[in-house]
Amino acid sequence: METVVRMGEAAASRVPDDVLACIGLGSCIGLTLVDRQRGIAALAHVMLPESAQPDPPQPHKFADLAVGALVADIVAQGASRPRLEAALIGGAAMFQFGGSGQDIGGRNEAAVRLGLDRAGIPVRAAATGGGKGRTVRVRVGKDITITVRVAGGADEVLLGSPTPRLAVV
Amino acid sequence: MNTFTDLQLDALRELANIGSGNAGTALGQMLGKSVDISVPTAAVLPLPEAVAIAGAADELRHGVVVPIVGDLDAIVVLLFPDADARTLCGIYGIEPSTPDGRSMLGEVGNILGTNYINVLAQMVAMDLEPAPPQVVEDMLGAILESVLIGRGGEIDSALILDSALVVEEEECSLSFLMLPENDGIRQVLERLGV
Repeated sequence: METVVRMGEAAASRVPDDVLACIGLGSCIGLTLVDRQRGIAALAHVMLPESAQPDPPQPHKFADLAVGALVADIVAQGASRPRLEAALIGGAAMFQFGGSGQDIGGRNEAAVRLGLDRAGIPVRAAATGGGKGRTVRVRVGKDITITVRVAGGADEVLLGSPTPRLAVV
Repeated sequence: MNTFTDLQLDALRELANIGSGNAGTALGQMLGKSVDISVPTAAVLPLPEAVAIAGAADELRHGVVVPIVGDLDAIVVLLFPDADARTLCGIYGIEPSTPDGRSMLGEVGNILGTNYINVLAQMVAMDLEPAPPQVVEDMLGAILESVLIGRGGEIDSALILDSALVVEEEECSLSFLMLPENDGIRQVLERLGV
């Protein structure tokens, strides 16, 4: 089953062949946490670097709160906290608006990386920055695979096995 | 809070109707063709649904973004499906994904945006002008997400004024979105007395 994680939302799964996806990430970050040994993954669609309030209804929306919230989600699915690894997708700068809107993508990425660093979670792969939007899909299971696609392009493997696993008949 | 009464939304819809009518007339003059405009919608949508208003998030769109500056901060976004952008640029014998094509789409954005906001500015006696357009070719979701977040302000929901323009005889249509910043739109409503 494919779960589309929309702006400010998050999802976690340990069901083999479930897919978690953020479609069309621009300046947002697709924050992925994985426990590869147990085949569990979680994905958050992070919108902004900082929350104005300490306890907002959707903590995954904000980079400074998303790491802690997503760690709780994936641990609740049975992941081992010390084994968690991260991958980051998105954070593009598609427009130059100037003012407060300037490079939200870059600030989102910096804030998520800071959160991961503080939590002691290593970043294993990243497809971030630049000026193009991205779609990320995380396939849950024994070989967790993260693929990234830009507009008009093909899926490229960011993390995991480069070829799809063949179904055992 | 990002809530408006039905009367206020009706007033905004009427503004969008007049603005897009004026914009469509100007585009028709530029192209030498008649341009039809749908009845606009005015709605306050949670951001994830705002992204979905113009199609599926992974569909390719040519997007023209025209920031509006002055007494009201707003962003005008034009969205062309690829085939429609090709048709429109084809009137001038050019391809959309080239420097000439991007320039042409930017100019369309400029004309539509300027004529839309000029009539708006007159009606509410505000000083508004468009900044230079930015043209991108990307996934719909990525374009709208970046615009909605980049405009700042309210981040849970967005007021969207949505019109569809159709160039007759050419099977070319585009979405015209006006995304005003919240405090500014309150002033507009105040001046309209609703």
